[in-house]
Amino acid sequence: MKKILLLLGILVATLSAQAQEDATRDVLERLALASSSEQSAITEELSALGDPYIKDFVDAWRTGEVFSYDVSESETIVLRKVSEKFRRLSNDEIFEIADEENDENLSKIRPSRKLRKVLKTITDTIDLSSPDPRARIEAALKLGLSQKTDYLEALQSKIETEENEKVRLKFEEAINISLLANAEDDEALKHSIARLGELASLPARDGIIGIQNEATESGDAEMVAICAEAIKDIDSAQKTIERWGNLVRGMSTGSVLLIVAFGLAITFGLMGIINMAHGEFIAIGGYTCYVVQNLFADAFGTQSAAYQWFYWTAIPISFVVAGVIGYGLEKGMFRFLYKRPLESLLATWGLSMIMQQLFRLNFGAANVQVNTPDVLIGNFEVAGVALSYTRIFVIGFAVFVILMTWLLLSKTNLGLYIRSVMQNRNMASSLGIPVSKVNSLTFAFGCGLAALAGAALSQIGNVGPTMGQTYIVDSFMVVVVGGVGNLLGAGLSAMGIGTVDQFLQPYWGPVMGKIIVYFVIILFLQWKPGGLFPTKSRSMDD
Amino acid sequence: MNLFDNKLEARGFIVAAIVLLFALPMLNGLTSPDSFLHVSSFQISLWGKYVTYAILAMSLNVLWGYTGMLCLCQSLFFALGAYAFGMYLMLHVGVDTVYNTALPDFMDFQGYTELPWYWKPFESAPFAVLAAVGIPGIVSFIFGVLVFRSRIKGVYFSIITQALTYALMLLFFKNNLELFGQSFILFGGNNGLNGFKEIFGASVDSASTQRWLFIASVLLMLTVYLAIAWVLKTKFGKVQQAIRDSENRIRFSGYSTTTYKLLIFTVCAMIAGAAGALYVPQVGGINANEMTPAKSLDVVVWVAFGGRGTKFGPILGAVVVSLLKSFFLRAAPDSWLIILGAIFIFTVLFMPNGLVGLPQQLKPLWKRIRSKSTTSTVPVS
Repeated sequence: MKKILLLLGILVATLSAQAQEDATRDVLERLALASSSEQSAITEELSALGDPYIKDFVDAWRTGEVFSYDVSESETIVLRKVSEKFRRLSNDEIFEIADEENDENLSKIRPSRKLRKVLKTITDTIDLSSPDPRARIEAALKLGLSQKTDYLEALQSKIETEENEKVRLKFEEAINISLLANAEDDEALKHSIARLGELASLPARDGIIGIQNEATESGDAEMVAICAEAIKDIDSAQKTIERWGNLVRGMSTGSVLLIVAFGLAITFGLMGIINMAHGEFIAIGGYTCYVVQNLFADAFGTQSAAYQWFYWTAIPISFVVAGVIGYGLEKGMFRFLYKRPLESLLATWGLSMIMQQLFRLNFGAANVQVNTPDVLIGNFEVAGVALSYTRIFVIGFAVFVILMTWLLLSKTNLGLYIRSVMQNRNMASSLGIPVSKVNSLTFAFGCGLAALAGAALSQIGNVGPTMGQTYIVDSFMVVVVGGVGNLLGAGLSAMGIGTVDQFLQPYWGPVMGKIIVYFVIILFLQWKPGGLFPTKSRSMDD
Repeated sequence: MNLFDNKLEARGFIVAAIVLLFALPMLNGLTSPDSFLHVSSFQISLWGKYVTYAILAMSLNVLWGYTGMLCLCQSLFFALGAYAFGMYLMLHVGVDTVYNTALPDFMDFQGYTELPWYWKPFESAPFAVLAAVGIPGIVSFIFGVLVFRSRIKGVYFSIITQALTYALMLLFFKNNLELFGQSFILFGGNNGLNGFKEIFGASVDSASTQRWLFIASVLLMLTVYLAIAWVLKTKFGKVQQAIRDSENRIRFSGYSTTTYKLLIFTVCAMIAGAAGALYVPQVGGINANEMTPAKSLDVVVWVAFGGRGTKFGPILGAVVVSLLKSFFLRAAPDSWLIILGAIFIFTVLFMPNGLVGLPQQLKPLWKRIRSKSTTSTVPVS
């Protein structure tokens, strides 16, 4: 029932949008055919509409793609040339016009200079009435920062009718920014500055500093104090935002690290082999997203709704692709390396070189672009702190992956097998557990996890041949700090390392931050040589 | 005490010493360039580079082949030695034409008017030579104390050493280091140190300098070889090999494996540093690319390919892989990394004893083939 209602809702919304566009087209047609004396009345009607189609049409009009066409003596209509076809403005009906140059009924129309100016103001301010609140905010700030009086009026008139509280505040901010240059007297200016301080407006900061400098020169102590106060407010708000931003960035990097380290911890803890090519499986994930994106773009076109699904399709595909490759490699190579950890390190390093070079040969040495689906574009705002959706998605995704891994390991038969082989391979084997099958599947699963990390990374980082290298050293650190084969330890240390790294960066720079993290890890191992949760065993060499 | 295992080794060593120390330099210096016996200066400095690589591989082999520690920071120590000596060379390039100062260009570029205090000592040649050996020694000692004390071993040791390499590489790629509110100029960032002019008062590029550098490299290699041969026969060397085979048993027997490992780790770092110091004037530059973790793994593949835990293997491996590299980089630049990776995998999977152990490995196979062929030719009576 709910679904039907939802569908109905969508239908109604689409229909009403269609109706509005029809009205807009009607007004535009009248405008295009009107004499210059009538035009001013029609433009007013137009400015109240706020339909994005207006912008589109005005652009076409300016560039000479709009024509008037005499259907009969008394009836003239407006045609628009869209990709070499003439379409009627009011209903998109196609008109076949054989000879464009010499058709007497057809004539190109262009807006007069005066009209163009009016239209520009309308199209510039049109986003202020956009149905999308984000677009309204963006437009308001852009117009405010331009500090032109024409736009100030538009903003002031629009704020009256604005219903969304958040957008209202942004409109107010934009008006006040504009007033920094256009204020009538000093009193109004001071009021604006104080208000901008309260609103913690970062875009206004430069303007206020300029005013402060002027005031310092002219000796206006009160103005200087007000400016200083406002700047202090803005800066402290900015600090808070930065701190939260760092936390989220750190957590999302930590999440990627976590997924990577989980795969590593499982393969390492289970089979005692160090997979230096683990990083390249991350790259496989990233590149799978890229390939799937291109396939979708070829099949559906980038504008279609189906294209938006490429990323969600790519995630499971990347897991499967990497899993299959990992399965094959386990059968063909890693099988021979069990219990020879140092040698396995070398062979996998060789593998990683080969894979990297193959990526380079296939996709080029430069990074490739994986787009972000529309759903993940933009920011989520809490108390003025903008957190990008991609980063939040990555954190949520990591939680999901961890949950799945935990379920797999603790609730399924395969998980039981895996744990038993991890604890004692020979005993497990003698009890009839198919050890070699478990090995292959686990290794494939570990590689799949790496690819999932790569798919997540494609949204917050670069996809390139060496993308895995950046993470591999870190993720080994995570495994060592967490305690080998211990998933809880891996989780804690990944989040810890990711967040500490991000927090150190502003103070020490990325390089020193990293060096400090490594140094702290080495010192930490002095205190707890086996990591956070060392494996408990009676064997001497574990 | 006889240093060599058998007569073949002793003879080979003497022949190598004569050829490398006397014959090649003489063919370079005494014959005319047109003679077919002439060895060009390019070849001399190229082989000089390979010899330093061989020394580096030998130092890693001591750690990995004999003590069982797969150290992934050996090329870091090599680079540290190279940087230390490179700083000396950098300070003797004379007054450049662009900035008209005696400072290295990258300092001029950043607006330095005088040498920072931590660069000053490197103006003296003896100090630079000492630092080329000492700095890797100090770094490895401090790192070794921390690592061995907490009994990090096996793959964890490899991972930690790789992290050290990675961290210092990041540092050396930087131009400046901001620390405690002060800015320290580092070592030339991306470009590193290059454009050297003179060494100990002689021109770096002249044929005779390159010849002497080659001789010095060979001397170092031969000395290291003898030293390894000697150490292996002593109790110290035997304990090292025992640590490789079973560290816990050695510890139970009352040896402080930490001390043994620390000592050998430090010494090997110093050898690598010395090799780096000889490398830099022969190649004409050093930059942070020599510090990437990949370079350290290259050294590991030299050792593995040549024959790990043998005296001659690392030398052979370093030279053969370097020759292969220079051949393939010209013939098929795109596929070099794939070939190198394949060598890694093939060596690990099928050649556990490397090139040196190959005859031994193939012996049974060869025997079977021969016995087959003899049975086929000789009719059964």
